[in-house]
Amino acid sequence: MALVGVVSLAACGGGSPGALKGIVRDDPLDVGSVAVTDVTDTGLYSGEDEQFSFRARPGHLLVVYFGYTNCPDLCPTTLAELRAARRELGSDAERVDLAMVTVDPERDTPEVLNGYLSSFTDRFNALRPVSEPELVAVEDAFLASSTIVKNADGTIEVGHSANAYVVDEQGLVVVEWPFGHGKDGMANDLEFLFDDMN
Amino acid sequence: MRTLITRRYRNLIGALAALAVVSTLAACGDEGDSSTDATNTSTAGIAVSDVWARNSPMMATAGAAYMVIETSTDDALVGVAVDVSVAGKAEIHETVMSEMPAGSDMTMNSGMPMGTDMSTSGEMTMRPVDRLEIAAGTRVELMPGGYHVMLLDLAAPLELGSNFDIVLTFEKAGDVTVTAEVREEAP
Repeated sequence: MALVGVVSLAACGGGSPGALKGIVRDDPLDVGSVAVTDVTDTGLYSGEDEQFSFRARPGHLLVVYFGYTNCPDLCPTTLAELRAARRELGSDAERVDLAMVTVDPERDTPEVLNGYLSSFTDRFNALRPVSEPELVAVEDAFLASSTIVKNADGTIEVGHSANAYVVDEQGLVVVEWPFGHGKDGMANDLEFLFDDMN
Repeated sequence: MRTLITRRYRNLIGALAALAVVSTLAACGDEGDSSTDATNTSTAGIAVSDVWARNSPMMATAGAAYMVIETSTDDALVGVAVDVSVAGKAEIHETVMSEMPAGSDMTMNSGMPMGTDMSTSGEMTMRPVDRLEIAAGTRVELMPGGYHVMLLDLAAPLELGSNFDIVLTFEKAGDVTVTAEVREEAP
């Protein structure tokens, strides 16, 4: 079901969200056919590349985020907000899955990425592009980008799109959250989307 | 009668002047005129409150601390430091949008970009800040998505419920030590 524009519904009591608070495109991004190397350690990871497709499981919503584990401010903030938002969803929290694409695969080894994400949720996929073209292909699908600058003094600066993307079963981005959307905004949108799916 | 009032008034002026001198001298150091309680600290004109740092995810090597700084006289934050038992290095940084999407009408509000028609999502990055000006009577907030104290090479993960000291160096007020509470979100 494509959600076009901002849908305003009168809340019929009970505090149901009346509209999405995030950004909705008139033409939703279709990311369902993009694949990326999945290094999620479910005990089954043996070093062989698995491929992950950006489609939520049936009945679920998939939150996609681009970041890196050495990120001091943006990434832990957004992921902490999502963690807090899930707490507000009651039983629906189990329907929210996270997939993080590292834009810094050199430093974010599978072990580092898995450990990092496990601090925020137990429902995650750790995605680690193995090549520059693979990273760029995934970013392009989401109209995202990243830049890594290595300075002469050894310091590394990483810039990256800080939006979070909510993807449905069909592989469509149904809403985008700019940085700072917050736990309440996220919970509102997730509840709205789940209400729509039920 | 008139002479008596004048004498008392003169003594009062003298006492106030002496107090003013003491306050000014105290501002040059971090002793005497400071009061600290948990996350709030004030030192002769500088008031720092709501000092907190986010608890570390596993594997993270960097962290950030945030706070609110107010001052009664113009000043500037020019340095930050933490003990090596916390992190190898502390720096003042600002998270900024490094590139604006083409064709969008964007305004920034508390670090949250608002757009009507975003083509691409601009990249956000950080830049070091050598001098953070704080004008008298204003309130500068170090918050997620904006200014923050970046902690590099964390010695150990920042644990929920713990706290650690940060020494803030101000151009005029000198060193002010504050205590950051490790939390999941702002107080």
